[in-house]
Formats: sequence, structure tokens, C-alpha cells
Amino acid sequence: MWEASCRLFGIREFILPAPSAIWAATVAVWPTVLGHTWATFLTAMGGFLASVVISLPLAMLIAASPTISAAVYPLLVVTQSIPKVALAPILIIALGANEVPRIIVTFLVAFFPLVVGAVAGLLATPPELIELGRACRAGKVQELLRIRLPYAVPFVFGGLKVAAALSVVGAVVAEFVGADAGLGYLIQTSMSFFRPSLAYGAVVILALMGILMFWAVELVERVFFPWSSGAGQPAMGA
Amino acid sequence: MIRIERVSKTFRGRDGGAVEALREVSLEVAAGEFVAIVGASGCGKSTLLRLVAGLVPASSGTVMLDGAVVREPRAETAMVFQAPTLLPWADVLRNVTFPLRLMRRADSGTEDRARALLAMAGLAGFENRLPRELSGGMQQRVSICRALLQEPRVLLMDEPFGALDALTREEMSLELLRLWAARRMAVLFVTHSIPEAVLLADRVVVMSPRPGRVVDVVEVGLPRPRSFDQEGSDEFQRCAQRIRAHIFGERGAGGGAARAA
Repeated sequence: MWEASCRLFGIREFILPAPSAIWAATVAVWPTVLGHTWATFLTAMGGFLASVVISLPLAMLIAASPTISAAVYPLLVVTQSIPKVALAPILIIALGANEVPRIIVTFLVAFFPLVVGAVAGLLATPPELIELGRACRAGKVQELLRIRLPYAVPFVFGGLKVAAALSVVGAVVAEFVGADAGLGYLIQTSMSFFRPSLAYGAVVILALMGILMFWAVELVERVFFPWSSGAGQPAMGA
Repeated sequence: MIRIERVSKTFRGRDGGAVEALREVSLEVAAGEFVAIVGASGCGKSTLLRLVAGLVPASSGTVMLDGAVVREPRAETAMVFQAPTLLPWADVLRNVTFPLRLMRRADSGTEDRARALLAMAGLAGFENRLPRELSGGMQQRVSICRALLQEPRVLLMDEPFGALDALTREEMSLELLRLWAARRMAVLFVTHSIPEAVLLADRVVVMSPRPGRVVDVVEVGLPRPRSFDQEGSDEFQRCAQRIRAHIFGERGAGGGAARAA
């Protein structure tokens, strides 16, 4: 329908290019597009991994003590209220035009839902399970590692899925501001050279990348934590 | 074995005021004895169990186990909760062995003993199932197996059949008696079902609510092994009536009209 309406109404390319035009423009410079895709993927993955590495311990700290939670949570909310587009140029001037500020921006976009999800999971552990642990004379560390953390896994994966999709967004935001490679950079340059079809092509690839990262997280969950995905048989009834 | 001496427990309520859960409760349980605790909700029976488990400290008085004061959870006690409280990520076998692994008391024979116990509880073939694949009754059986595998000398049960339907409940009561007869540990069994208490216990402790106090201890003179046939016996009726009288006052003691289940 998209294709048909573009042709039928003679919509001009800079307003809405037809899918065939997008395809043609993208395939024409395929090796370049592939290189940009790879660059964006690396930034997104880097930011995503940084989110995982930082968010999970942070969530454990927040869940462990109300004091830490009261001190840290407002700061986290502050990081969420600052527009990352505004922060990106500042970071790039401060840290140089390299991969580090881009990963930091990606991290800032992606980590919050992961922290919130993990904290929710750690605190959602039923009090009876905690009591069971205490009755078995488990210490605080054992309680965290053997009971609270496994219990939080489904919640953590909820956060991971959101973070995976958001890290693609974060990578593009960072590339808009300061990069010499990546799909965000490609979108900017192709628009300034008046090649909207190629920009659209980059957008489509970004969407696919987001979906693939989301699926990858889901796959990991299914394979390694089958009890978490809720896909199992329902209870047999009492 | 268990010696509870003038134990009181006061909680700080949510509004800052003090809530008196138990007042001067004294009770002794001999080794291998089955004692049921009944009372209306809010009479502190669960609190009493948690005191014996060492999960909460007493405000005054002492709980002794084999002559030692209970200050923290001990290896010789095991607890069964009202909810099965199984680990959702672990299969039945790993759930049953979880406490021993947590306490680093698991050895090469642990798994075999767990399998034997599960078989005795009618769960053979379910060792590798996840808890959510089992019915409520089966889950609670798993949690009882989990407690028994610790080979406790004191088994604390907090309304273990409270969440089950009436039929499963009766079946589980007899099964529990069978498992208990095979290994004979002291049992403190909290319930709000009077027939259940009389059927299971050697002695039934009746508690009054707010604050929780022991108002009577009824000796159940029924021979073992127990069965539901004994529900019609005079001794069963005598015990049930006496407990009912304490809980509901005279209106429950008069005739068979009042029914507590």
C-alpha cells in the first residue's frame, strides 16, 4: 500500500520514498551500510553490556538497604529526566570523540528500566521464602544469592528486554551528536546530501536491530531460565 | 524436649502502638510427641511457632530446646509453612534437598534419601518436575518432604493444610501421621480446624486471642494408628466439644449445631 500510494499520488522522495526506492538506495551502497550497521551494533552492545554490569550490582545495593535506596533512587531519576541528546555533546567534549562517550550515552538511555526491574524482583521475593532461608540459617549473602537473585530473574529479564531495545535508541542518539560511523551518522549525512531513501533504509535496519536484540534476550531466557518465561504448562489444578 | 517458659511477645504495630501477641505462655512438649495448637485467628499461634523456630525473639520468658535457650534457628528444627513456599526455579528434588544444601549438610546419600521420602509421599516420578506443574496438595507434600529430609527432632507446622481443599486435607492428615509414625519427632502443629487437631494430636493446646494465652490443654485418649472412623467415637466428641467450648463459649458446647472446620 505504501508502495502503491507513493506511485499513485506521486509523493516526492524527500517526503516519503517508496519501499522500492529505499531498497535500491540501501543495496547500492551495501558495504558502507553494513559497516555503519556494525558500528552502531557495537555501540549498542557496549552500552547494553555496561547497563547489565552496572545495573545489577546497583539494584542489589538498592534492594539491600532502604537508606541506600533513598540516597540513590533520586539520582537515578535525575539521570532519566536529563535529555540524553543534551548530554551527549557535553560528554563528547569532555571525553573526546571516541567510543567511550557513545557507550556512556547508550548506557544512560538503557540502564534505568533494568535497575527498576531488578529492584522490583529482589523486593518481590515472598516473605515466606526469606523465612525459609532464615530457618535454614542462611546468612544475608546466601539469602541474596540463593533466594532473592534467582527469584528476581524473571523481573530482570523484563528489564533486559526493554534495555535491549533502548540501547539501539541510545546508540543512535550518541551518533547523531558525535560520530564518524554508525547508522545515526548515516541518517544525518544522507539527509544533508539529500538522499532520504538511504536514511529510511537506515531507520529500517535500526528497527530490525532493536527487534533482534530483544529476541536474543528472550532466547537466552528461554534456554537458560525456562521456568522464568512462563511458557510452561499451567498448574494441574488442586 | 521443647520447654516454653512464661513467654510473652509484644510487636510494634504499624501505627506505632504495641500489640501484645502472647502473654505468659508456658508449654512443654516431649520428644516424639504430637501437639496441636488451636485458636481463633489472632491468638498468636503462628508467633509461638516462630519463637520456637528461633525466627523471632521473645519479649520475655525463654524457649528451651534440649535445655539450651533458643536464640536463633537451630539445625534440629524444621518448619512447614501454610504456603508450600517452594523455589519456583528448582525442580522437586532440588527443592527437597535445598535446606541441606544451604546448610552444607548434603552428602552423597542425600539425594537417595530425598527420592525415598518423595516415593513415600506418593511423589515418585515427579522428582524432575517444577513446582508450578504440581497441584497444591502435591506442592505441600513436597514442602513436608523438604522438612523431613532435614531429619528434625522438632517439626513445626504452621497451618500446613490450611490452603488445601477439604478432601486433600483429610488425605494429607493421614499421610502426615504415617510419615510421623515412621520417624517420631516432636511435632507442633498449628491449625484452626478442631477435628484435624483431635485426629492428629496427643495433646491439643487451646489458645485465646488478644493477647494469646493457653486456656486449656486437652489430652486426646484415642489409640493410634488414628483413622477417620474414630471421629464417631465418644472420646473424639468429648475432646472436640471441650475445645469448642473454649473457643466459642457455651453456644458451641451445647449441641452439635455449632460446627468448626
